[in-house]
Amino acid sequence: MSEASVLSPQPGPGATATGDAEGEAFSLRLVMRALRRCLPMLRPVRGHLVRFSLAVALLAVIGAGAGALLLDLHWTRVLQGEPLSRFEARLLALDPALSVHVDALSEATRRSVRNRELLLGVALTLVLFPVGSALAYYLLWILQRINQELRLELFQRLQSLSLRFHQKSRVGDAIYRLYQDSAMVTDLIQTVILAPLGQALRFATSTALVGLLDAQLALLLLFTWPPALLLGALFTRRLRHGFRRARASNSALTSHIQETLAGIRVIKAYGAEAREQARYEVRSREAFAAAFDARSSFAALGVLAFGLVASALLAATGIAALHTQQGAPLFAQRLLLAGGFTAWNLGLFNFAKGTFGASTQAIERLLILWARAQDIAVGLDRVFELLDVEPEVRDAPDARPLAPPRSGIAYRDVSFAYQPGRPVLTRVSFEAPCGAVTALLGPTGAGKSTLLSLLLRLFDPDAGCIEIDGVDLRRVQLASLRANVALALQENLLFGATIRENIRYAKPNANDAEVRAAARVACADGFISALPLGYDTLLGERGTKLSTGQRQRLSIARAVLKDAPILVLDEPTASLDAATEIELLQNLTSWGRGRAILLVTHRLSTLRHADHIVCLAGGRVAEAGSHAELMARAEGRYRGLVEAESAAARGAAPLEPT
Amino acid sequence: MSATAGMPRRLGERETIQLFARALRYVAPFRWRFAAKLALTLLSLAPRLLLPWPVKLIIDHVIDQDPIAPAIAGYPGFVRGLLSPLVAASPLEILLWLLAVQALLVLVIGAIGSTAAEVDRTESTLSSGRDTATTTENEANFGYSFVGGLLGFFEFRFTLRLTQALNHHYRSRVFERIQSLPMHAFDDERIGDAVYRMMYDTPSITQVCYRLLVTPVAAVLGILVTVWVLHDAVSASPGIAWAALGFLPLAVLTTLLFGARIRAQAFGSREAGANTTSGIEEGFANILAVQSLGSEAHQRQRFARESWASFAAFRRLVLTVILAILFGAVPAAALTAFAFVAITDLVIDGTLTAGDFALVFAYFFQIAGYALALGSIWIQLQGSAAGIGRVFELMDWPSEEDAPGADPLAPVRQGVRVEDVHFHYPDGTQALRGVSFEARVGQLTAFVGRAGSGKTTLASLLPRFHSASAGHISIDAVDIERVTLASLRARIAFVFQETALFDASVEENLRIGRPDASAAEIEHAARSAGADAFVRALPEGYQTRLGRAGGNLSGGQKQRLAIARALLRDAGILILDEPTSALDPESEARIVSALHEAARTRVVIVIAHRLSSIRAADQILFLEEGRIVERGTHAQLMSAPGGAYRSFVELQNRGNA
Repeated sequence: MSEASVLSPQPGPGATATGDAEGEAFSLRLVMRALRRCLPMLRPVRGHLVRFSLAVALLAVIGAGAGALLLDLHWTRVLQGEPLSRFEARLLALDPALSVHVDALSEATRRSVRNRELLLGVALTLVLFPVGSALAYYLLWILQRINQELRLELFQRLQSLSLRFHQKSRVGDAIYRLYQDSAMVTDLIQTVILAPLGQALRFATSTALVGLLDAQLALLLLFTWPPALLLGALFTRRLRHGFRRARASNSALTSHIQETLAGIRVIKAYGAEAREQARYEVRSREAFAAAFDARSSFAALGVLAFGLVASALLAATGIAALHTQQGAPLFAQRLLLAGGFTAWNLGLFNFAKGTFGASTQAIERLLILWARAQDIAVGLDRVFELLDVEPEVRDAPDARPLAPPRSGIAYRDVSFAYQPGRPVLTRVSFEAPCGAVTALLGPTGAGKSTLLSLLLRLFDPDAGCIEIDGVDLRRVQLASLRANVALALQENLLFGATIRENIRYAKPNANDAEVRAAARVACADGFISALPLGYDTLLGERGTKLSTGQRQRLSIARAVLKDAPILVLDEPTASLDAATEIELLQNLTSWGRGRAILLVTHRLSTLRHADHIVCLAGGRVAEAGSHAELMARAEGRYRGLVEAESAAARGAAPLEPT
Repeated sequence: MSATAGMPRRLGERETIQLFARALRYVAPFRWRFAAKLALTLLSLAPRLLLPWPVKLIIDHVIDQDPIAPAIAGYPGFVRGLLSPLVAASPLEILLWLLAVQALLVLVIGAIGSTAAEVDRTESTLSSGRDTATTTENEANFGYSFVGGLLGFFEFRFTLRLTQALNHHYRSRVFERIQSLPMHAFDDERIGDAVYRMMYDTPSITQVCYRLLVTPVAAVLGILVTVWVLHDAVSASPGIAWAALGFLPLAVLTTLLFGARIRAQAFGSREAGANTTSGIEEGFANILAVQSLGSEAHQRQRFARESWASFAAFRRLVLTVILAILFGAVPAAALTAFAFVAITDLVIDGTLTAGDFALVFAYFFQIAGYALALGSIWIQLQGSAAGIGRVFELMDWPSEEDAPGADPLAPVRQGVRVEDVHFHYPDGTQALRGVSFEARVGQLTAFVGRAGSGKTTLASLLPRFHSASAGHISIDAVDIERVTLASLRARIAFVFQETALFDASVEENLRIGRPDASAAEIEHAARSAGADAFVRALPEGYQTRLGRAGGNLSGGQKQRLAIARALLRDAGILILDEPTSALDPESEARIVSALHEAARTRVVIVIAHRLSSIRAADQILFLEEGRIVERGTHAQLMSAPGGAYRSFVELQNRGNA
């Protein structure tokens, strides 16, 4: 089953490390796959990304040009007092007679060069800095939009997966994937596309600039690459494995916390707090240990990468210092003459040191980015695992909307198993016509609730089919099917919202009168009105307790409000007392005229309201018919049940255990 | 959001300080390790004093070829030591010597100079998302050193271990606290919000501890030493040091203007995030309702709205931070320009060499950096204040506590006595009004009544899931308020109306109340509850993993497992809240007989609607609006014409007959 393998976070020691299922030796493939999957997500913000990149490139060009000029002005002219080039004099509006055609600059001229240089620098900073900040904010917005899209896609996918998936998956895992793992998409853009492009550009331009001054230095930069690549290759597998383990164990921890909270009542009632605490601490330690290993490797790579590039930078500093000391000629003399540069000087020494540093920094950053990309790829892999689970139940290509049912529902030879080889239903056939109440009866585990799930297509049958007005459910659109069915569940699932919102859940635009009317049918209006805040009582608020019977009636009110032609009730009266039950069933029968009502029950009192009774046993239909028909069968199962129960109810025969 | 409904969204400065003081208490077990971290940080900062020198020496003595001899007298001691073998050396020799020293520095501290490209920092910041929650994993696993090399790597690992130990300790205390919250704290509570607090709010403690414990000491010492070296090394004008120190009041001013706003917005960001996780949690915990009611589109819209709101809240926070930085940028540029002018003037004067420019400017930035770090501690902590505040808010919910001097409860011998008990819920709903009864060992007692009559509430008072508002409950004549909670609950097995199963094996689910139960005991309990047969039919029998919330089991099967769990606990008091509501008559009969069997040696209390469960009870208590209106055996109660119980029963029979 593909869905089983998806649920990677299996609790238990050791199991949290899923490892590299693919065992890819070359992790570029993992990164490229993530990239390929993410590129379509960029489409909606394509224009923004282009605008952003152009702006950043423009800023970088301005910055590099201005940087070279300012360094030269400062170091060579101001600090050493060498005359300005003609270009510089013109730019600073200084008299060439005093600043260009002299042996050395006077102190006064050095000061005025300094002042103008400062002015230029400050002006540039005050313009570029806010623009840079604005760009950072712009990028944040772009990336958030991309992340939002992915989150929504994941959310939708999770919602559309069949219950079979959800019964096996963990809520905490969904939270972690939706939240933490999907966030990686934004960083993929940043770490795998934007930043490497920027750093590569930086490396290329810096290396070219350094090359103009001295070809050896440029070669030195190029020769830094092979050991850098080797270093990256050595760490890749280790990093990827570590990151995967860290994410899986953190996800397991989130799941564990979520589950403990969801089951806190039992834990406390059974005094299991200390054991849960111990289990939690084991998980927490595992998660931290996994993070420690992964992050230590990552930091070690950083330290080694710096050692490598720092050695190159050290060598370059020495070479440049010697060139400057000797006033050696520049490599691309003719080209640089235009800017007024002829030989190595102090300004160029500082420029070379800075530019070479920018190049080595780019190499180091690219290595770090590569390492970080491993983490991102692992995170996104977990996201795609989920996105790649095909929903079992989905619309056929030619699916049509379901028209409001007229004749009714028919189960035809339906078979179903949650797990292969363990059939829950075997060739079940019966009909539930419109305008009638059809009851499903049978011992626990006979498959009654499963029959209802199949009607809603929470699952599809393994064999046979279910039809409404003669149309196979698999040929109608899922949304239109579910719009035609209202269901009140055995487990009463309420949301942390007001009572009104909970009832309105399936029909958000219902007005108050409709809500009230539905509550009245469900016999809920009375107790709701008795609450201090009535329909506005917040169910999430501590202190407001509803009994199970009350919750049950709320979920029936919800189904009633939906006003669908098919009403399905799973044990609607299990937690109700006799008086409420009778009232509720009377209300439902009169409200439900013309609708197909399907109900599952054990209670004979409830069955009495049914037009048609289907007795299930061992996943098969044992008997079917009206109350009278079934009672007419001498050895009938139904008849036996009714007789036993009413005998017990009358107290004639004390109930003896079987 | 319910959980935060009553909280002060805008923390004042005073509350914030109190929060931090409280957070620091969690550091106590780690104080020596924090001291060691401080020592390591100071050790890593020391070489910074040396780092601006190589480039200055290269410029002055290699490129400009000034002789060392006259200049060396003015250098500080640690530089004189470095240069003493070179007094008569050629520029090339000086260069090689300096490069060798730098190579050593690379190995030890990963640094060769003082510009960004020349100094390594050891850290492991991984990619993070674009809202508050997704950036916290880096915080929870924060490791850092100002330097690289061997020292940096060692300090990094030490810090990472310390951070993780602190976070583990802190989170574990929060988890412990959550588990000691009263039973009903999470009944309707939004679990996603609590998960958010546990996972994403707790790491805030990391920054609080480092910034409050390490940064101030390191920054003050850094300032003092660097100012001293600057003075000692070059007779630079004191104005330069003062300009650098000007970053301190500048940061403080920015804090005053923006701090409260950043704090409030950090709160907003975290709340919006918690809302989103709650939405996810609820949506998927209730997926059955979502899918069957066809409200996927509605859920999706809601999620889209909440998720985008959390992004927007984070963006607002970032915008404020950007504005704060831009606000500070102008005065910062002015201070830097002042220093720049002052230093170049000294070079033009001839007081300083060209190489000194780099040296003095580097020291200027070092001092400015320390001043900025010191001045902005408070503003940097505002984001953490929000996280810490949310964690402590959770921890301050009233929790269950034993009365002082509470004794453990001995095994139950006689029974339970309830005297004139009243109970009202916090919202004022009166649930019980003067209930008295006795339930002895060997008896099966049934609570009967209409929905909402107070049966479940009454039962929940015995294990003290709630405490009675008035009246007494005693077990073997000992008031249950005077015994320890753990021992009280150890004597009670409680089966809830809505069964809660964990995503673990059947066996583990049964063992919860008695971890040391043998396989035979487990099977016996399961058999008594009528669960053995279907458990055996599962793919791996008792070892089958159930999946979330019981997975594929039917309602009745889950109920039987819950009963088996209670029987296995072997406690003196067994309480079952509607144990048979989802069972067919046959299974029900079996369980009723198991209960009678159990009642021989225990107090058994059953809440029921179904007559079959209660007919044979030794006493039936009929409740109406929080009062016991009738009591007796089935036969006694049925013989009272017009009695409440009798008409209740007749109504039910009419339905059946």
